[in-house]
Amino acid sequence: MWKFLGKRFLQMFITLLMFQTVTYFLMDAQPGDIADLLTLNPDIPPAERERIRVDLGLDRPPAERFLKYIGNFYKGDLGVSFSQFPRPVTEIILERLPRTLVLFLSASVISFWAGYASGKVLAWKRGGVIEYSSTLVGVILYTVFTPWFALMMIWLFAVYLDWLPPGKFLDPILWLTAPEGIHANDVFVRMIWSVMIATGVMILGLIGTQRLSSQLRKTGRWVSFVVPFIGVFLYWRFASSGISLYAWDILQHLVLPVLTVTLIAYGGTMLLMRTSMLETLREDYILTARAKGMPEKIIRDKHAARNALLPVWTGLVFSIGSSLSGGIITETIFSWPGLGLTLLNAAQVEDIPLAMGALTVTGVMTLLSHLVADIGYAFLDPRIRFS
Amino acid sequence: MTENVLEVNDLTMHYMTRKGPVFAVDGVTFHVKRGEAIGLVGESGCGKTSIAISLLKLLPNNAKILNGEIKINDVDTVPLSDKEMNKYRWKNISMVFQAAMNSMNPVYSVEEQIAEAMREHMPHLSDQEMSEKIDYLFNLVGLDPALKTQYPHQYSGGMRQRAVIAMALSCDPDIIIADEPTTALDVIVQDAILKRIREIQEELNMAMIYISHDIAVIAEVSQRVGVMYAGKLVEMSSTEDIFHHPIHPYTMALMSSFPSIVGEKTELVTLAGEPPDLLNPPAGCRFHPRCPYATEICREQEPDFKEHAVGHYAACWHPGGVK
Repeated sequence: MWKFLGKRFLQMFITLLMFQTVTYFLMDAQPGDIADLLTLNPDIPPAERERIRVDLGLDRPPAERFLKYIGNFYKGDLGVSFSQFPRPVTEIILERLPRTLVLFLSASVISFWAGYASGKVLAWKRGGVIEYSSTLVGVILYTVFTPWFALMMIWLFAVYLDWLPPGKFLDPILWLTAPEGIHANDVFVRMIWSVMIATGVMILGLIGTQRLSSQLRKTGRWVSFVVPFIGVFLYWRFASSGISLYAWDILQHLVLPVLTVTLIAYGGTMLLMRTSMLETLREDYILTARAKGMPEKIIRDKHAARNALLPVWTGLVFSIGSSLSGGIITETIFSWPGLGLTLLNAAQVEDIPLAMGALTVTGVMTLLSHLVADIGYAFLDPRIRFS
Repeated sequence: MTENVLEVNDLTMHYMTRKGPVFAVDGVTFHVKRGEAIGLVGESGCGKTSIAISLLKLLPNNAKILNGEIKINDVDTVPLSDKEMNKYRWKNISMVFQAAMNSMNPVYSVEEQIAEAMREHMPHLSDQEMSEKIDYLFNLVGLDPALKTQYPHQYSGGMRQRAVIAMALSCDPDIIIADEPTTALDVIVQDAILKRIREIQEELNMAMIYISHDIAVIAEVSQRVGVMYAGKLVEMSSTEDIFHHPIHPYTMALMSSFPSIVGEKTELVTLAGEPPDLLNPPAGCRFHPRCPYATEICREQEPDFKEHAVGHYAACWHPGGVK
């Protein structure tokens, strides 16, 4: 295991280095630079432009700049943003990354679970109107043009029904009157922690009740589902009542982007799970399980769905990269100030340090999630574990 | 408790296809006594496996049992719902499948797959007792109990087959159906496993239905043999009778189509023609188009499956080839 991990980290490091090299030179190959953009005004003398170039180090040859950048990067210094001078890139990324992570992690987890559960049931109860219509919906969600779909979601929920805000991370008018010392990011991080602790309690509860007898297990599961919810509610109602209003505002803004990304990812997962399940149901070991007189639920969940999950999990690995890059589109449409929007803005104004920082973090996240998915696969499939 | 652990009376099972019903099992009648091993032999597509899955009621959606009864310990299981049938599956009647290589779930350990059935049907067993029982079963089928926590893909083909047999024995069934259990194995492993099966069957005094296309395999393990042709049981008698005094022309042809090592050397005879299409089986006796003794009556009327000598049943108008 340790040997495997060591090897994987070395591979990941080499991949990252190659990725950084390619992206740096591609970024640099864009015509012009930020000095041109800052001095568009004809009143500014050309000498000023040269001064900015020298100040930012843009007069040095690209190879030299690249080597210096890489050297600093692995010392932990990602440089200073050109466009938001003099904010350090690390500070900007630390502010934006949680927003993107929350958006995509929650969308991935919800869509994966929902796709798994519904695909499983659809394949098991084959035929009928429900299966046909669900499959149709799945195909539509899977093939829909993302920007159009996101706009339609905004129209439906923000304009027509007027249930949710159409975009952005928070409501500026509300936050204008916020008392001194309340920062959006602090509130957001606190929200993340409360949800993570609640999830942890829930998972521990589910694991803990696994060994109990069936009657106790039901109660135990119910309790371990309800207690975290109540805990979170009580925490925000009483312990942090001062900022709960602002947390509620962020939460409202979070719903629509998460829902949109979830729906788009859900279609593919559900279709894949359904097909995979249909294939698994034809396997000999399903017939064996039926011959053993196992109850239907055990055959469906323990024998069929567990095996059908394997290709769906592989599909998840492949979709990680594309969903992160697709995030740029989603974040732009919802004006969600995450990493994708940061990257887009930085690339447009030739803010090389910020764009490189955002791209590198995206790359590291993709590599890490691939690693997690691979380790998860080894847990799911003993044939991988023992070879 | 009666003598017969399994009684099949006039069992008729059809597959409903778009082209019409396929007459897979048609009016099959036989019984198995407690502790007795019988064989079912026939070429592929004659309905052997269809009988097996009918006995456990593991039918695909398009298959219907139209007629007849299947009595397990005197209870007719044909009208039972799937849920009610679950009480009989594995507890009373278990099965070793044709494709034993894939009949274990790849993501669970062998021990878990055996224990799962025991938890379902023998809930009174403690974990300790269950583990001991699995050790005992592993020894019985000739596997090292230390291997029980391994996964199916870590076993060789022969080991997997043994594990599947151990699994079939786990709930002490009254009768086991073994559907071509050794077909995918090489001859040496096949022989070792057949020997083990026969020993276990005698040791535990368990009834067994052995299904194979290989008449040599059948001869080795069974006391009585039923011969199937085109969805019908055409002859049934003691193994001795079937091999030395067959009376149905199809059995006679079958017997002369494989060589005997010790007996006199005779020319091997192959049977002309093809087995009939079960969508449109021939009228009268289904064997008549290929039968050298067929006469007018064979073409028009189906022969009854009746006793020609003591315990020797056959469905033929001209038993023994006499006109």
